[in-house]
Amino acid sequence: MFVELAPLVAPAEHVAVEAARPPLARRALRALPPFLYLAPGLACLLVWTYRPLVEAVQLSFYRWNLLPSRPKIPVGLDNYQQVVQLPELRHSLWLTVATILCLLPFSVLLPTIISLLTRRIRGRAGVAYRALVFAPVLVPPVASAAMWMWLLDPRHGLVDRMIGHPVNWLHERGPAQLAIIGITGWHLLGFAVLVVTAGLANINDEYSAAAQLDGATRRQITRWIILPLLSPTLVLLTLMTVLLSGQLTFPLIDALTQGGPDDATTNAYYLLWEYCFKSFNAGLASAAGLAFFLTFGLVALLLVWLFEKLSFHDN
Amino acid sequence: MSRIQVEGLTKRFGEVAAIDRVSLDISHGDFLVLLGPSGCGKSTLLRMIAGLIEPSGGRVLLDGRDVTFAPPRERDMAMVFQSYALYPHLTVERNIGFPLRSRRRPRAEIRQKVREVAELLDLAELLGRRPRELSGGQRQRVAVGRALVRDPGAFLMDEPLSNLDAKLRTATRGQLRALHRTLGSTIVYVTHDQVEAMTMATRVALLNAGRLEQVGTPTDVYDEPASVFVAGFLGSPAMNLIPARIESRAGRVQVLAPGVELPLWAAGDQPAREVTLGVRPEHLVLLPPASSSPASQPASQPASQPVPVPASPVFRGVVETVENLGGEEVAQCAVGGARLLARGPRPLGLRPGEPVAFDVPADRVHLFDRASGRRLVWQPASGGLPRERDHDHDSAAAAVAGAPGQVLDASTV
Repeated sequence: MFVELAPLVAPAEHVAVEAARPPLARRALRALPPFLYLAPGLACLLVWTYRPLVEAVQLSFYRWNLLPSRPKIPVGLDNYQQVVQLPELRHSLWLTVATILCLLPFSVLLPTIISLLTRRIRGRAGVAYRALVFAPVLVPPVASAAMWMWLLDPRHGLVDRMIGHPVNWLHERGPAQLAIIGITGWHLLGFAVLVVTAGLANINDEYSAAAQLDGATRRQITRWIILPLLSPTLVLLTLMTVLLSGQLTFPLIDALTQGGPDDATTNAYYLLWEYCFKSFNAGLASAAGLAFFLTFGLVALLLVWLFEKLSFHDN
Repeated sequence: MSRIQVEGLTKRFGEVAAIDRVSLDISHGDFLVLLGPSGCGKSTLLRMIAGLIEPSGGRVLLDGRDVTFAPPRERDMAMVFQSYALYPHLTVERNIGFPLRSRRRPRAEIRQKVREVAELLDLAELLGRRPRELSGGQRQRVAVGRALVRDPGAFLMDEPLSNLDAKLRTATRGQLRALHRTLGSTIVYVTHDQVEAMTMATRVALLNAGRLEQVGTPTDVYDEPASVFVAGFLGSPAMNLIPARIESRAGRVQVLAPGVELPLWAAGDQPAREVTLGVRPEHLVLLPPASSSPASQPASQPASQPVPVPASPVFRGVVETVENLGGEEVAQCAVGGARLLARGPRPLGLRPGEPVAFDVPADRVHLFDRASGRRLVWQPASGGLPRERDHDHDSAAAAVAGAPGQVLDASTV
């Protein structure tokens, strides 16, 4: 008689027994270390980023001149109304957008071209070359502002001597804007080249090897393979330009033009600072700051979404 | 439709020669497998043929045309990469169509060709997907499709199966072989997997440390390895290689080592020589224990065939372990100071700790020079065949003499 082999099932007494779990207190203690490591960073983030953010939201509903002895007067949405109406705010916003657009060639276009052209420089020459390109990033903005003030001097500056006719760089509307953009771009370029170079190095050589065997020319490989694969890096740089242009231009504006001449270089960030620390109108500054924060936040979200969409997680 | 000739090709990285004066003639329709351990330079060699790496010396000829320094685009070869190198931002359809697109073929033609290839490789359903949405096997087929689409003169393949699981690999091996049969084109295939080499190749080229060790059909390289390296690389488990000595004793050439006594044939003119003796595990013939009479033999029925009782066994040793492979068993034995593996159908009837004795048919004996590692070939001084060995092991001389390599009585270079 045939008898079927019994299937392999754990016997009942094995199923009944549950492994003993350690007590809750011990489990909590074991989970603690990662949070301890994070604690200093989280504390800084809370104290220096989120608390001011919350305070700014609060301040935007008050009128206050920053003096601790003076009371904060609640004004409702008055500050926001002013933000929408003030022409100088609109002007500064346009100026900020224009600055960002003018910085993009320095942070995206030129670095891409430079990195593609110098891809084949390897070994010691490559290191030296990258160090040279990166050097301006290491110069503190205020130091570079001092240096550029000399270089842009209307009569004796090197720039005017090279051009051959005097331009009053820092005291005429157009040239002043150009100067701020040019110096910021010069700062940004080295870093951007480094990022693009890293992005290129991240693209597996196999793709261009495969494309070569598939019969593509150097140009086709750059256009059809390299640039599409590099696009997440380029979006990232665009994002950085949008978000950091304020921080990058601020010390230069402050040191070189103080927003002038005639508010020609007063961008949104500099205006905020003026409202708060020159006109002592903390409420208006906070409201304007929040408006900018939301606007640029939306742009950033859009770019992050684009970045995610363009990233090809190849494995 | 291409013949690829490689002449004295060398690639140096600094002081190290990754490929050292390699010459190969790959005729039209060949399926040549470059086989060797990792780091032997086989991929470098393939990439020099492809034009991705510039050689430091030597030439590459394609149908007689010197293409040594021509860019890959001008070589009419297609390549399947180990990583597949599928363009991650393009769909399967555009990946396969890429070689035609870069040659500026009309769009309708590209579409048509891509459909055909997709049909052939069972990819029609996947044309709209991107590489990251494909399984390993599908990616591999897309990579092959991209190579097929423009009818290249030769296919170069760099370990295309190494990222597949065992079952898929076996299936794909069959498909590649079928593809080679239908297309009849030249294929150069790099692998470190001897099974792939043995099953697919029309010819195998074995590389070791940048040098060519042997080129021949799979049968050639397995049955008559030209060097100790080839002997030890092919086969699973690999060939037993035992340091030994040949001498003439009492007018008879013999191979001697501790626990080994292998009489070959009568000849007095063989000077003593240090050699490496090679025997494949499956060629060892288990002898019944010395105590038992021939009549009791079936009780411990051994390896391959029934053996006529010899006067003296070739190998004497002690069983150390017995491994069960399912269908077969592998016994590891200590013979003198050396290890000897024997393979045969299960059960071998061996137990660890027991004494054991093996014989070996003389035509299964391989001899290599100890210093150079090259195969030794018997060339009788008189020109006639050597006289028979004691028993029925008579084909040794003919078989050994047929192989290329060094002559037994020539001094090593």
